[in-house]
Amino acid sequence: MNMKRFTARLSLRARLYLFSGAILTLFAINVSTHLWGSLARTESLVAYRDTVNAAQLTDDLQQSLEAARQQVLVLSTLRETTDEPLDANEQTAALANLGDIEARLRRLGTIGTEGTEDYYLRLQESTTHLISGWRSFYRQYNDTDAAVDVDSAVNFNDAIQRLGELDQRQEFLAIQRSNAIDRTIALTDRITVIGFITTIAVTLVLVVLLIRATNASLQRLKTGAQRFGSGDLTYRIKENLEAGEIRDLAHTFNDMSGKLQLAIDEVQSAKADADSANAAKSMFLANVSHELRTPLNAIIGYSEMLQDEIGDPGEVDRDQFRHDLGTIIFSGRQLLSLINDILDLSKIETGKMQVSLEWFQPSALIFQVCDALSPLVNQYNNKLELEIDSNAMDEMHSDPSKLQQIVTNLFSNACKFTEDGIITVAATMDEEWLTVVVSDTGIGMTADQQSRVFQAFVQAESSTGAKYGGTGLGLAIVREFCTMLGGHIELESKPGVGSRFSVQLPVDPESTLANA
Amino acid sequence: MTGNSLKVLLVEDNALNRDMLSRRLDRAGFTVITAEDGAAALDEMRANAPGAVLLDMNLPVKDGWTVAREAKQDPALAAIPIIALTAHAMEADRQKALSAGCDDYATKPIDFPALIAKLEALL
Repeated sequence: MNMKRFTARLSLRARLYLFSGAILTLFAINVSTHLWGSLARTESLVAYRDTVNAAQLTDDLQQSLEAARQQVLVLSTLRETTDEPLDANEQTAALANLGDIEARLRRLGTIGTEGTEDYYLRLQESTTHLISGWRSFYRQYNDTDAAVDVDSAVNFNDAIQRLGELDQRQEFLAIQRSNAIDRTIALTDRITVIGFITTIAVTLVLVVLLIRATNASLQRLKTGAQRFGSGDLTYRIKENLEAGEIRDLAHTFNDMSGKLQLAIDEVQSAKADADSANAAKSMFLANVSHELRTPLNAIIGYSEMLQDEIGDPGEVDRDQFRHDLGTIIFSGRQLLSLINDILDLSKIETGKMQVSLEWFQPSALIFQVCDALSPLVNQYNNKLELEIDSNAMDEMHSDPSKLQQIVTNLFSNACKFTEDGIITVAATMDEEWLTVVVSDTGIGMTADQQSRVFQAFVQAESSTGAKYGGTGLGLAIVREFCTMLGGHIELESKPGVGSRFSVQLPVDPESTLANA
Repeated sequence: MTGNSLKVLLVEDNALNRDMLSRRLDRAGFTVITAEDGAAALDEMRANAPGAVLLDMNLPVKDGWTVAREAKQDPALAAIPIIALTAHAMEADRQKALSAGCDDYATKPIDFPALIAKLEALL
């Protein structure tokens, strides 16, 4: 488990390097074990061969010494019996033979000496003594006066005994070394086999671990990719379980999924916006269709009726005709103002309604509007009161055509909904704001009606349009214009008491905005 | 024109349209009674048992859909055919009127000969 956690923390490259390194190290250990085994075997073999050679040499020496002693004994006997001298050639050959024995003894001192040093030193001591005795014998052989001591049996037996001891020792060592070779071979073979099996086992374990760790990482990546592919973009691959390149890859996947989610959210919100805009447009069209059909119904209906009546026999009712034609004209005008209002509202909604600011005198403009609409005041027997002090009002920087429409709409509304009452138009101005108040003593509105009256296509009652004219768009346009000019509109009203519309517009929207 | 002597209830809050349509129906030979709102319409139906009702949908007090539903649930009024009159011209509006219980549907501006044909089919 710890191993797994550890390997999981390594990058894929580090894992591959680590595992390859481990496997190569194991193979190196294996090969060096094998080489060490070969070397040990060779060393043991060389020592064994030296021991065998030394033993051979010892046997040769024993034979040579025995042969030399026989010769000495024969010559010694001859000299006592025949008194025949030894010729020079024979003497030289005998001395050379002794030199050869000495040389072989020295050679014995150089091979396979390990473990036999003491034996060899004792042999050398006794043979040196023996051979020097024999050498004197040969040199003094022809000198009859000289006492020739050939009784070297003690020395000879001593030398032979030492030689035998050395031989035994060498034999013992040879057996020992032969056993050592067998053991070395067995040991190195065992080490080689164990090393090889261990290498295979460790390699297998490492490979399995590597495959498992890598496979688990790839599985997690695969799971993540599948979840993303099936649309689950809130899923996240656990990055802290991974390391190195796979962690980078997981991070890239998660990042990609997050960005996709963002893009989808954007598209969906854009679609929702488009849908709601589309729904609003359909609603607008349905409302326009409805509003156009109402006056058209009167226009077509009255026209067709007049067409029928004009074919009737007898006298036509001129008053009736005049009334019906007046109705057609009224409805036609209502249709025209409706179309104008719809165009205005459409311009406002598509952002194409322009505001053109200029300096003008608002009191003069308000007087003009009231003057132009004075016939409306009289229509229902109303009185108009103007509370405007021209001297107290300066010029303002605004859009005069929009102010004109605001005042016109509010004024004509007040006239429409008031009978035998008073219409009051008041205007005041301070340094920042122009305030225009249009109030009436008309039918007024309930709180519910007041809350809907600024919405497009809404009149306080559906029957209002027929009874009082108007499109249900006038107040919506007034409120939009107030907003466009940087101002606002407020309404106070009570059913049966009257309504009071109060408009506030900035004297100079640019400086007002700067102050704000 | 057979059946023209039959009584028709015209429910319309718009004075111009009410005046125009009642005069035209009168000229076509119908006996026309009128109502200005939904509640008055139900009262007229009970009091005068009209042969058919021409019902505007956007009415004060009680709207046209409510009037149609209540009339069809009342055993005394259920048999009276109702033709919806409205300036709403979408297919969904037509379905809404029919599912409220109206027997037929006419869009404003009214095609008068077609309206007469519908009335005659129902009477």
